[in-house]
Amino acid sequence: MPTSIDTDPPASHLDLIVEMTGGFAQSHDVEATLRLGLERITEQVGAEAASLFLIDEETGELVCRACLGPANVQGLRLGPGTGIIGRTVDTDKPQLVRDTRRDPDFTNAIDAATGFVTRSVLCAPMSVRGRKLGAIELFNKRSGQPFTLTDSRLLQALAASSALALINARLVAGLAEQEALKREVALAAEIQRAMLPPPQPPHSPIHGINLPARGVSGDFYEILPLADGRIAFAIGDVSGKGMNASLLMTKTASLFRCLAKREEGPGRVLVAIDSELQETGLAGMFVTMVAGVLEPRTGRVVLANAGHEPPLLWRQGHFTPIEEGMPPLGIAPEVFADGCPESVIDLDGGTLYLFTDGLTEARTADGGMLGADGARSLLDTFAAMPADERLQAVASSLDGVGSLRDDVTVLAVEDIRLAASGAFERRFPARAESLSRIRAAIGKVTRELGCSEDEARDVVLAVDEACQNIIRHAYRGGIGDVIVHVRREEDRLVIRLMDFAPPVDVSKIHPRSLDELRPGGLGTHIMRSVMDQVQFLPPPTGIGNLLQMVKRIGGP
Amino acid sequence: MKIETQDSGSTKVVVLSGDVDLGHSPALRKTLMELMFEQRNVVVDLSAVTYIDSSGIAGLVEAYQMSRRNGTRFTLAAIADPVRRVLQLARLDRVFSIVETVADAVK
Repeated sequence: MPTSIDTDPPASHLDLIVEMTGGFAQSHDVEATLRLGLERITEQVGAEAASLFLIDEETGELVCRACLGPANVQGLRLGPGTGIIGRTVDTDKPQLVRDTRRDPDFTNAIDAATGFVTRSVLCAPMSVRGRKLGAIELFNKRSGQPFTLTDSRLLQALAASSALALINARLVAGLAEQEALKREVALAAEIQRAMLPPPQPPHSPIHGINLPARGVSGDFYEILPLADGRIAFAIGDVSGKGMNASLLMTKTASLFRCLAKREEGPGRVLVAIDSELQETGLAGMFVTMVAGVLEPRTGRVVLANAGHEPPLLWRQGHFTPIEEGMPPLGIAPEVFADGCPESVIDLDGGTLYLFTDGLTEARTADGGMLGADGARSLLDTFAAMPADERLQAVASSLDGVGSLRDDVTVLAVEDIRLAASGAFERRFPARAESLSRIRAAIGKVTRELGCSEDEARDVVLAVDEACQNIIRHAYRGGIGDVIVHVRREEDRLVIRLMDFAPPVDVSKIHPRSLDELRPGGLGTHIMRSVMDQVQFLPPPTGIGNLLQMVKRIGGP
Repeated sequence: MKIETQDSGSTKVVVLSGDVDLGHSPALRKTLMELMFEQRNVVVDLSAVTYIDSSGIAGLVEAYQMSRRNGTRFTLAAIADPVRRVLQLARLDRVFSIVETVADAVK
């Protein structure tokens, strides 16, 4: 018999290898492909039966995952090192047993149980670079002959490529699982941020901002108008990170929304939240939180603090920390047994800042921490801006420095009474649709500041005309905002309009000559007629044009 | 702002109400211009106008100028106080033909 039969595999064997490795590369269900492969090998080699065993990584046992032939051994588990297949896996080499009666490792227990008579066995390991996955075993050639070396090489090649396919499939599945987990975290973060209050209208006395670090956050804040005109608010930080912290944060925020409407005063709200949290048990987690209520009519704030950074009261460039407070929520039931003390603060034209430690621990440009002083000077830097703008400015100056280690959450509670601040400032979209709101706001403010009905009517007209000029000539139909600032300085009403458009060439704006009867150009004339002074001033940084109008009021 | 037009004999009466500002003056101008192209005599009833600015006034001025070229009549009637103030500021109270009531204009 020529030896070439044993050394050169027939062309059909090569075809099978090509076909099966191609199948592995494309398949998503690798075990289904392995079973199909097993059928093709069995057919090709002419075996009576076949089985594919994979190692159970937890127990080390060999588990039959696919089998062909008269005996069904699918699911059969063999201890490590059992039988010829155990030897194949252990030695990581193909085993060709021409006559099982002469092999000491052959166990006929399966034959005895199934009635199958095993004469000859061919078994090849499934392994990749020493990583053992299992083995493929063929039983008895139908021809009655023992398996040959050619059969062995074919099986070895197919078993190796099966192993590679299996490893790849497991890697892909692992990656998919990681991706799914990542998506879950991203989704949780998204849901959490969706729970934060929406941006407040510009004239709201309370504004908040949350600057997320990566992943799921433990920070939250709430702004909750109450039925009687007061506004409840809260800021909090949950210890720890990740899903558990996030769930606790969500729960605490929900509790606040529910209890703030029911309990009288922030102290009782915190006590009630603590008692709810105690009931569920927090497994070492806790919550630091400040709850408060603002009465906008009087500018009075009632605060209660559970282990949170002391809020800062800003007034005319000076900060005063509100130190009074209790330990965090969720520590032990007896902590809040005697209630929670409250502080009463009159804003008196000032601003109360609440923030999480993400602010004081934010990185500065030189790599240090912002710290309490840094946080104060940052808040003071933008003091002249409207509160919502100010928080945005604080956030972007932190964001520019580098990656945040922690979420930054800041809440500003302001005294919006004109009597306290003496000034009105509001931002509007520079659009024709805003004009009626601007007129209503200016009408109200000017009367509050002491203008007569006639004076108020004229000032409203002048501001409307000035805003029209901004809409039509500064933005030229483009998108932008206008900031309207009104204040009283003794007997003078001072109005400033600021836009963010490119600077307008002032020399091209003339009051129209009234002898020349034509539409347009009338607005500037009206402004000059009703106001005592109308002039463009050099705009501060970040402002496009600054128009100042002054009118003497309260005269005879 | 609301614009309503009524026929009163050969004259078209345009009844304005509410705030006539930059957001609405284009609609006023369009209505007035169409009537001017039709060479109609027009009376604008301003009794229910709560606010008017330079853009609204500009529409009235343009219509007035066209009526003069057309040789038609363009009259403002029953001027509410906010309108009177702006017309005075613009010194247009001496330019427009202004009557007390719509009836005065169409008789």
